[in-house]
Amino acid sequence: MSDEIKAEKTMDLKGLPCPQPVIKVSKGIKEIQVGQVLQAVTTDPGALADFPAWARTSGNEILKTEQGGGLITFWIKRMK
Amino acid sequence: MDKEKKKKLLDLFQSKLDRSMRYYLDVCTRCGLCKDACFAYASVPKVEYTPVWRAEVVRKIYKRYFRLSGRFFPFWGDSAEIDDETMKQVNEAAYSCTGCRRCMMYCPFGIDTQAIQSIAKLLLIGNESEPEILSMLADASIEKGKSLDLYKESFIQGIKNLENEVIAKWKGESDQTIPLDVEGANILYVALAGAHSIIPAASILNAAKENWSLSFFEAVNFGAFVGDPRKTQLIAKRIIDEAIRLQVKEVVICECGTAFRVMKHLVGKQPFEVSHIAEVMARYFKEGRIRVEKDRIEGMITYHDPCQSARNGGVIEEPRYVLQQLTSKFIEMTPNREYSLCCGGGGGLVALENEEFREKTGKAKVNQIKETGAAIVATGCENCHTQLGFLNERYNMGVKVEFLSNMVANSLVLES
Repeated sequence: MSDEIKAEKTMDLKGLPCPQPVIKVSKGIKEIQVGQVLQAVTTDPGALADFPAWARTSGNEILKTEQGGGLITFWIKRMK
Repeated sequence: MDKEKKKKLLDLFQSKLDRSMRYYLDVCTRCGLCKDACFAYASVPKVEYTPVWRAEVVRKIYKRYFRLSGRFFPFWGDSAEIDDETMKQVNEAAYSCTGCRRCMMYCPFGIDTQAIQSIAKLLLIGNESEPEILSMLADASIEKGKSLDLYKESFIQGIKNLENEVIAKWKGESDQTIPLDVEGANILYVALAGAHSIIPAASILNAAKENWSLSFFEAVNFGAFVGDPRKTQLIAKRIIDEAIRLQVKEVVICECGTAFRVMKHLVGKQPFEVSHIAEVMARYFKEGRIRVEKDRIEGMITYHDPCQSARNGGVIEEPRYVLQQLTSKFIEMTPNREYSLCCGGGGGLVALENEEFREKTGKAKVNQIKETGAAIVATGCENCHTQLGFLNERYNMGVKVEFLSNMVANSLVLES
């Protein structure tokens, strides 16, 4: 299903400690256009709650979250 | 800057002017004893990196608007108008200071530079020129507190994924791995979002057969880093409310200096005790509740005192007691304990990723570590760990930077 979402940019955030994944994503999303999608791959279990909370406050949308093999992957659409 | 903005900023300034703050702003004699205490000035001897310069930026505004002489004769003395140019200096002062408060140890009048810089940070918020990233992270933390039900299931799933790693570290008997939402638990352990902050502590708490519960919230307080008193309290309140709801006896903060200091010293008296995980580990050793194989970790070990948990939090001897259980090859840095040099990562600087500043002002810490000849630098704070790892890489120090809890978890042994 992940193939259905085309990501404009992918960020490898594996192994980064708190709060670097959210910081990097909040910077990275500004490097794509509104309406485009950012894919972020992290190993941080807290990201499962932190990314949605960040998306809600920053006004972006998490389209999909996928877990497997110790990795958590988010597809985030820039909304503004 | 328009009149309305100026008034807003001066109202914010006024809101910080209690008796102690007026004292800090009134009594400086510019003796300069603070300058050599600052890690930044010790690394890069620039006047802008002296505590007195940083304080003067705020003090000049104070003199202009809150002292009689400045109000009537603004052209006299060393006072400054609050305008865009001054706000640039306010930004430089606030975010070149980690709030380590080492300068306060040397000031003959005990002037608290961090308190003065809390005015600078509040002015930046009022001016809407604070680091956006810190406010954004603070807002995300508050959002998690307001809408926990939206994130709870995701968090539980994330925690479940860590259970095998906890079991791998502690192979002893335990009917729990990472308990959540345990009413009446002795301990509410408040970790950071990362697995590195959860797995070692979970192994240790299970090894001690503790009745504990993991908090749904991360310990770190970005409201404190950005200097927003309202957000600081809201972020802390999420944990306080959880602790009260579960009726826990003790809230244990992970290796995060600011989180510990906020919960221990800045939120008032609460119906539970507050401890740093290093204090809990030391207690377990003293009570014989956990055992480790001494010297399983090879090589000389030194310890970096995190400013917020040591000098500003009082957790000084417990980490050393823990290290004594782990190694016979411990060596102190000089100076240490409450006089320890800041690593340069605090006050939100690590989150800001200001690498150039962090690299050059970390030099004094690098020299201090090198002089020990240690192979491992242990510490008890996430910011310090990140900054020391960064300095290790940039200066090719060739050391290993370790959390105390991880070292203990990796050395645990079953009862003999």
